[in-house]
Amino acid sequence: MMTARPHSKYRALWIAAIALAALPPAMHVLGLTVNTASMAVILAIATMGLNLSVGYTGLVSFGHGTWFGIGAYAAALIQKHWFGEQIALPILLSMVVVAVLSTFVGILILRRRGVYFSLLTLALAALTYTVAFRWSEVTGGEDGLGGLKRGSIGPINLDDALAFYVVVALIGIAVLYVLLRVVRSPFGHVLVAIRENQLRATFQGYPVERYKLAVFVLSAVVTGVAGALLGFQTYLVSAEGVSVPFSGELLAMVVIGGMHNILGPAVGALFFILFRELFSIWSPNWLLWFGLIFVGFVLYSPSGLVGIWATLSRRWWPLPEEAAAMSKRKIYEGLPLPAFLLPQGMQGTVLEVDGVSKHFGGIRAVSNASLTVGAGEIHALIGPNGAGKTTLFNLVSGLFPPDGGTVRLNGREIQGVPSHRICHRGLARSFQITNLFRGLSIYENLRLSLQAQRPMRFNAWRDIDSYPDVHAETAELIRFLGLEGIEEIEGGELSYGGQRLVDFGIALGSKPQVLLLDEPLAGLAAAERERVSNLIKSVAANIPVLIVEHDIDRVLGFSRRVTVMNQGEVLMAGAPDEVRADRRVQEIYTGTGTPPVTSHVLGEAAGSQVLRFERVNAFYGKSHILNDATLDVREGEIVALLGRNGAGKSTLLKTLAGLVPPASGIIEYDGRNIAGMPAPDIARMGIGYVPQGRGLFAGMTVAENLALGRLARKTDAAMAWSGARSRSLSTSRA
Amino acid sequence: MFLLEQVVNGLVLGGYYLLIALGLSLIFSVGGVVNLAHGAFYAFGAYASVEITKYLGFGPAVVLSPLAVALLGILFERFLLRRFYTADPILSLLVTFGLAMIAEQLIRILWGAAPLSATIPPSLKGSVIVGNFLFSRYRLLLLAVVAAVLACVWLLLHKTSFGRVVRAGIQRPDMVAALGIRLQPYMTAIVMLGVGMAAMGGAFFAPITIVHPAMGAEIITVAFVVVVIGGLGSFWGVVIAALLVGVVRGITIHFAPAAGEASIYVLMFLVLLFRPRGLLGERIEKFE
Repeated sequence: MMTARPHSKYRALWIAAIALAALPPAMHVLGLTVNTASMAVILAIATMGLNLSVGYTGLVSFGHGTWFGIGAYAAALIQKHWFGEQIALPILLSMVVVAVLSTFVGILILRRRGVYFSLLTLALAALTYTVAFRWSEVTGGEDGLGGLKRGSIGPINLDDALAFYVVVALIGIAVLYVLLRVVRSPFGHVLVAIRENQLRATFQGYPVERYKLAVFVLSAVVTGVAGALLGFQTYLVSAEGVSVPFSGELLAMVVIGGMHNILGPAVGALFFILFRELFSIWSPNWLLWFGLIFVGFVLYSPSGLVGIWATLSRRWWPLPEEAAAMSKRKIYEGLPLPAFLLPQGMQGTVLEVDGVSKHFGGIRAVSNASLTVGAGEIHALIGPNGAGKTTLFNLVSGLFPPDGGTVRLNGREIQGVPSHRICHRGLARSFQITNLFRGLSIYENLRLSLQAQRPMRFNAWRDIDSYPDVHAETAELIRFLGLEGIEEIEGGELSYGGQRLVDFGIALGSKPQVLLLDEPLAGLAAAERERVSNLIKSVAANIPVLIVEHDIDRVLGFSRRVTVMNQGEVLMAGAPDEVRADRRVQEIYTGTGTPPVTSHVLGEAAGSQVLRFERVNAFYGKSHILNDATLDVREGEIVALLGRNGAGKSTLLKTLAGLVPPASGIIEYDGRNIAGMPAPDIARMGIGYVPQGRGLFAGMTVAENLALGRLARKTDAAMAWSGARSRSLSTSRA
Repeated sequence: MFLLEQVVNGLVLGGYYLLIALGLSLIFSVGGVVNLAHGAFYAFGAYASVEITKYLGFGPAVVLSPLAVALLGILFERFLLRRFYTADPILSLLVTFGLAMIAEQLIRILWGAAPLSATIPPSLKGSVIVGNFLFSRYRLLLLAVVAAVLACVWLLLHKTSFGRVVRAGIQRPDMVAALGIRLQPYMTAIVMLGVGMAAMGGAFFAPITIVHPAMGAEIITVAFVVVVIGGLGSFWGVVIAALLVGVVRGITIHFAPAAGEASIYVLMFLVLLFRPRGLLGERIEKFE
């Protein structure tokens, strides 16, 4: 179990306290006032609130000025109408107002993600600005609301600049403390998971929308407090605080300071204030320079000032070199499934899929498919590419609802239920394309899964270290998977095999009653393949497993039942031996009978060499896909590329077409090395590429599709087909 | 009757939004780049036309200023946007936001913070009476210009090989490359076209709006609202949305002048409530 010591846990708090004490004298030295110091702290509070949503959850808001402004207006109006001289109650009540409004707005705009979300927040800021500016009866319009009172606390009059600074600083420390608690809580860890991979978090059983709404409201309230403070600081609330440019400046402060650090935004706010105050003395165009600095940071240092500091300090005090190698791990063979993963009293049919269908536009992806998975069995789902296996997985696990049919888990219908609920009812899955939290450690990847199964997953206050049982379970799961010793390595740093294993572990960590594995062995090396299939076997002794796999021999070897799919339909189901003996299944895999060999290798005599691959290597991230691939194609030859899924066949073709750049090696075509050339140039040399799946342009007519292919060749010396010729060819094919 | 007049005024307003939103949507769809600096090109277009009008008159100004801004667009695409086609769209959002900030300050330095006024030649002043209605001559000209631009862009996208490549590139850039077509020059052309249209909007509408440094920032949010309402990647979606926004705003201003601006955003939130991808939007994975 890894716990942080209290002293390092709350280090940010100490740093902030010292900085806050030093700020007024430092401002004095620079010839600035205590008011400027208060201003910097207020902006720091606002940006720290904004960063909870931007940096931690990945919701980039261009409209937090809205909350800043609403907080300010609410506090001002509440003071004016109900509490003449009071300051504390107006601020508290304004927090309530912001919380209520941001809940409604959040429900609406959090329906969209990514860029759309950002644009909606931008529109929100524009809307609030026009309301603030135009609704003069309430907001004072252009003049704003003046005559606010700071009041006093006991004998201390807050009109004194230093006294007010102390109040602001104390609120700042309190906000930082709250944010630290939130960030270190189970809730805070889920926020980061959402930023890294929202889909995976959903399938781990987290109701992502609720987390996002909660963090949006919290972030808005914190920023709103800052707005209220600014109102009392200047005795005035105006529409400027809700303007779009101000929202942008807040975001700029976050980016310049550094969004992946809790104090980064505060550094950015201080930078902004100092820049404005000091630069504007000798140039009225300080915003121009600030804009340039902002763009510079986005382009060259996305982790901000804090990131620059971290890089520099790494240079002076280098960390011990750590090799991110799978070889460092300790593997214990033959461990039993950890006790906490054993499902309770399960018997009979666990999963029952009955007559499920799904259409995508005109394509019938799955039609009337049925299968059952019983307790203690490995059930294999096999079939050629495009048979609908993964779509069936998606329907069962709730990625999208089926058009018809029922899915029952332990007798309860789950079709149409959101995926995070399905996960809690006991169904977990892995993904065909590795799907994990790339920026988080292996340990954190798995811990998130186990945490999702406990009620404390919503706790936003207790420290993550105060749950020893979750940590103990995580350690046990890591040991079972054979990942001990490398648990601190980030998911994205792992080799492909390691990532597949973590993906499997994430599914297992959901304590499922039935486990869906989508090609867990694809792309694994032989030794790893053996080890992972042993793991699956030992899991399946207790948890029923539904597995999609193209390694037919192996999967028929260890499954109890097999369902074969073809073209969206279930072809047959039965014991492995029946499936092996079935003629229809054989036909799918090897064609009707054994065709007579009509071609043969022509050998050296065949004609000149057209294409040559020599020791070509290609990677997707850390995954080594092509390993010293070598190949010859001669004139007059048809060369077939065979191999199971994940063997690298498509990648080899994409490398040839220039769509995947090779890391090393030679691809010789027509006497030239074309390795690494851009795809259009390769195509112009005369290499055509027909992709797997549909490579055509939907929404354009057949003639337009064909015309596109002609276009590139027209300008070249290479063969140019007329429209009539390509049309006749396409019709004869159809 | 009165309402009908407001509808026509709304259409003029919608056409004005359309010139800016269409280019924005094209750059967005083809390059995957959210260009928050688009408003800046609109502002440059307006300022350039005011400047050129002083020396050469109105006619040359509305032609030369979009051309000049389109040339500026080449630099913009070559040296900045190009880095972001494959990057996280949020990055391009941040960078172009910073650029918009810089552009606004540049305008303040070059032309000052005070608003400028643009004039129209006397021959375009005055009104036309159609039946019971009184229409300003200049506004009718604007409608005609927008309609012409719209027709040209539609023909370009749907009837030329250039348009075929662009539409294919929106869907499957990798397959376009595998067909031997380099998308880069097309992207440069699309950015030129997009910012050129924005500048044209600035030049033509300068006389009936106020030319001031923040004009770009003001139009950009409205333009995005139009794109969001219409839906990404859809030509007609943007057209319908622009006109709808213009008309709704025109009618609201008639009944409650102060709520004119707000009505646009309320309309957007309403549309999103019922059609999360906009009126005619398609699902484009990288923007989700």
